[in-house]
Parts: sequence; structure tokens; C-alpha cells
Amino acid sequence: MSKIVIQNLNKLYNPNKPNAFYALKNINLSIEDGQIVILKGVSGSGKSTLLSLIGGLSKPSSGEILVNNQNIAKLPDIMSSAFRHQKIGFIFQSFNLLEGLSVYQNILAPLALTKLGKEAMHEKVNQAMQLANIEHKKDQNVGSLSGGERQRCAIARAVVMEPEIILADEPTANLDKENSFIFIEILKKFKLLHKTVIIATHDTLFDDLACIDRCVQMRDGELLE
Amino acid sequence: MSIFLSNEIIVFLLIELILIVLMAISQVNIVSILRHWDFDATTPLQYALEKKNYLVNTILYFTVTCKVILFLFFIQSLNSLAGIVPGAMCSAGVVGANHYGNALLLLKLLLIFGFGLWLIVNKLDLASITFPYLKRKYLLFTLLFIGVLGEFILEILYFSNIPLTVPVFCCTVVFQAPRLPFGYTQTLLVLFFYILFGAILLLNYLKQTMASFTCNLLFLFIAYYAITYFFGLYIYEMPNHKCPYCMLQKEYYYIGYLIWGSLFLGIFFGIMPFLIEQITQKSYVYLLKYASLCLIITALVCSVYVVRYYLMTGVFL
Repeated sequence: MSKIVIQNLNKLYNPNKPNAFYALKNINLSIEDGQIVILKGVSGSGKSTLLSLIGGLSKPSSGEILVNNQNIAKLPDIMSSAFRHQKIGFIFQSFNLLEGLSVYQNILAPLALTKLGKEAMHEKVNQAMQLANIEHKKDQNVGSLSGGERQRCAIARAVVMEPEIILADEPTANLDKENSFIFIEILKKFKLLHKTVIIATHDTLFDDLACIDRCVQMRDGELLE
Repeated sequence: MSIFLSNEIIVFLLIELILIVLMAISQVNIVSILRHWDFDATTPLQYALEKKNYLVNTILYFTVTCKVILFLFFIQSLNSLAGIVPGAMCSAGVVGANHYGNALLLLKLLLIFGFGLWLIVNKLDLASITFPYLKRKYLLFTLLFIGVLGEFILEILYFSNIPLTVPVFCCTVVFQAPRLPFGYTQTLLVLFFYILFGAILLLNYLKQTMASFTCNLLFLFIAYYAITYFFGLYIYEMPNHKCPYCMLQKEYYYIGYLIWGSLFLGIFFGIMPFLIEQITQKSYVYLLKYASLCLIITALVCSVYVVRYYLMTGVFL
């Protein structure tokens, strides 16, 4: 069953202006439930734009993005936020952690918007920390973490809401080789948990990995698959 | 001196003008939304219209809310204008200074009710994924916008025709023999007030939206006269002081705001379920509870003044 179906998707930046350009051109893509998909391509090929559209962070210029058969491009802003909160986990290249807060508090942040009890929240945070292998740093301020640790904290935060879909934008761009391999180990855990994962990257580390179901090449806003 | 040089009027008209400009910008966009809207389409035009719709909604939500708040400021401004309009002791003199005053006040009240209705329909529209009431919501706003333009013209006419050299009649007008509707006596008026009040409570309890709508409109009319020509006497403790505005002043502990506020809110909540049903086919009967609560406050506060006066003096006015 298709988890994500993208049809005739276009994204035009600066419409009606001299510097208007298409970041995405007529994208058609179908991603099955539980698949791990790599979006490959050089900078400016449209990978991040596609991720932001799938995550409901921005709206397309035309076309459809069906997630669980619902066109998320049509969701009103408030529902789009709820959709992101409940269904999507984001892992950003620069981690986007809340500086000044501890690892535990960062991971707890998405749960603060739910009606879960204290105990249930604590349990979910612990599970997420275990999955990302960061529980030993839980009381440490994120400002004092290494790059790899910061990313694992970001991963734990992305999965704490138990999202169906995880979107990662250049997740290994700021990591050394050792931490990149740790990320791949976590990716394998996602596979076991039957999460749908889309990774935008140009890192060759992901080439020929057994846990990757599909690799989609992008260039100049178009799919080359 | 011109009335337009008073601080309150400068501020009031400036805000009104800004709101009208914002509404006019929205109205231009509304026309294009109404002409081309097709929610099922995934074309660039439709996505552009959806973005535009958010912008328009945000502007309108802001302007409509401002208009509601501005109404209170308008009432307050009328009170303070009494200081510069010769002969005026309260808003009664300022409103009655020319024949535009009462028409303006009535139009403002109707627009407030209209804005309230728009805010509820807008809320229902935004709560649904498919914007099912978008066209009706914007048509309603278009009507309201025409009303707002009329209101602005009326405001200019009203303010520019307030005489500042000739004394106006104020509460002296209402000291004269009361001009009650249909030749009612005070007793008949009060009797109707309580009968209608009871009927509304019953209809609200039975959730009869259409009947409640009709009775509420009738009650608004009757309550205005009953408060002005009967209950007001007990608030002012003067047999001839028949004024709907003085009770808004400090001397009467601003009780008018509670009385008129609860009355208008009660009427608003009472008429909305029927109107919302007509526009959206959705039930909003829970508002009738608030309607009853507000009208109970109105009736209770008014009645307390009568009872209090009787207990203190042993007579009725």
C-alpha cells in the first residue's frame, strides 16, 4: 500500500517575478509503507524542497501530495501543523535543537503539546533515547554535546511522537565517519519498526546499503528515476 | 471649533478609515476568490487562491474584531463629547443632536451582530478541511462591507451635523411625556418584557431556534423601551429621567454596561443558532444556554433596582 503518493507536483519560487524559478518540476513518486527511500542529487536539485513539501512545511504551486490518501497540500495551516506534529519526524542537517535545554528536555518538547500524563511522557522519552543511544547524556545541556551526540538527540526528538514518516535532510553532512555509521545503525532500527523514511542526501555512504529500499535521483527539480 | 477636532473623533475616524482600507483590500481579493475558487483543483491558480484566502481571513479576523471593540470606543466617545456639545449632559444629547445619530447607532448594532455571525461562520469554515462555507462567508462579508461603507458615510454626516453653537436637547427630551411604541403604558411594557423573557427562556430550553430568533428580536425592541422608560427610573431614582445612556456613567457605577451588554449578548446568542443553521446547516443550539444566562442577568439586574427602590421607599415610581 502506498504511504505517500506525489502527482504532478510543481514548486515555483518567486512567481510573477523576473527571478522566478521552478524548484520542482512535474514530480511523480509513490512510496510504500515502511520503505526507506534516498533522494540523491547535488545541491539545488530540489531534494530539500521536496522534503519540506512532503512534511507539510510549505505548499506546492500545483499538484498533489497524498499521505495516507489525504492531500496534505490542501490542509489548512492549523491542520497542517497537527499533521506534522503527529505523523512526521524531522531530522535536520543542523539539528535545530533548543539550546540551553538538556537532552531530556529537548526530546520532551514535542510531547508537551500532547495530553499525555507525566509518566507516559517519561516512558516515551526514555524509549526514544534508547533508540537513538543517547540516554547516558540525558541531563547534559545540548550546547555541550558533540556533533554526533547532537544528531542522536535530534533523532530521539524526531521519533518521540512515534511518527509514521521520518524525513531526514542531509543527516550525515555534519558527521564524521564513525557517527555516520551510528546513524546507519539507527536507520536499520527504523526499518525494523516499519517506519517510512525519506532521506535527502548526496553522501555516497548510503549507496548500496541493504536497508535502503529505493534510491531516487534528482536533478534541476526533476526526478531521473 | 469643529467636532472633528475632538481627540476621540480623530482617533475614532482614523481607525475606522484604516479598517475600511484593510476591508477594501480584502474585498478586492474576495472577488477573485469567489470567481475562481474550486477546492478540488490542484492548479497553480487554486493554490494561489488558497494562500490568498489565508491572508484575507487574517485581515478580516483582525478588522472584524477591531470593529467590535471600536463600537465600545464609539459609545465612550459619545459620552465624552457631551462635554463639548452645548446642552448635552450625556450621550442622549449627543446622539439626538441630529437625525443621523439614532440611525447610526442602530446600523452599528446591526453590523456588530453581522460581524459576530461572520466570526462564527468563519470559525466553522476554518475548522473544516474543505472550506465548505467559503462562498457564503464571503458573500456575507460583502454585505457587511457595504454596510460598513454606509456606516462611514453616516458617521461623517452625523459628526459634521452636530451643532456646537446651538444647544441640543438632552435628557430634557426624555423628561417629557414618554413616547412609547404602539401607545403602550408602562405597565403593559413591563408585562410584555417579562412575558417575552419567560417565553425566550422556555424556547431556549426547548431549543426552538426559529421561534427563539423571532422572540429575541421582539424582546430587543421591547427591552429597549422597558429599560429606558421603566427600569431606568429606578436606576436613576428619578421619576422623569428616562435615558438609556446615563446609566453608562460613573455616577451609576457603569451599571448600563452590564445591563445593555448582557442584553445585547443575550440577543446575539439567541438569534445566532437560527442564522447559523440557515447558512451552514449546522446546529449551534448550545449558544441558547448563553443567551438565557445573559438575559437572566439583564432581567435580574433590572428587577433588583425596582425591588431595592420599593424596599427603601415603600412605593413604585
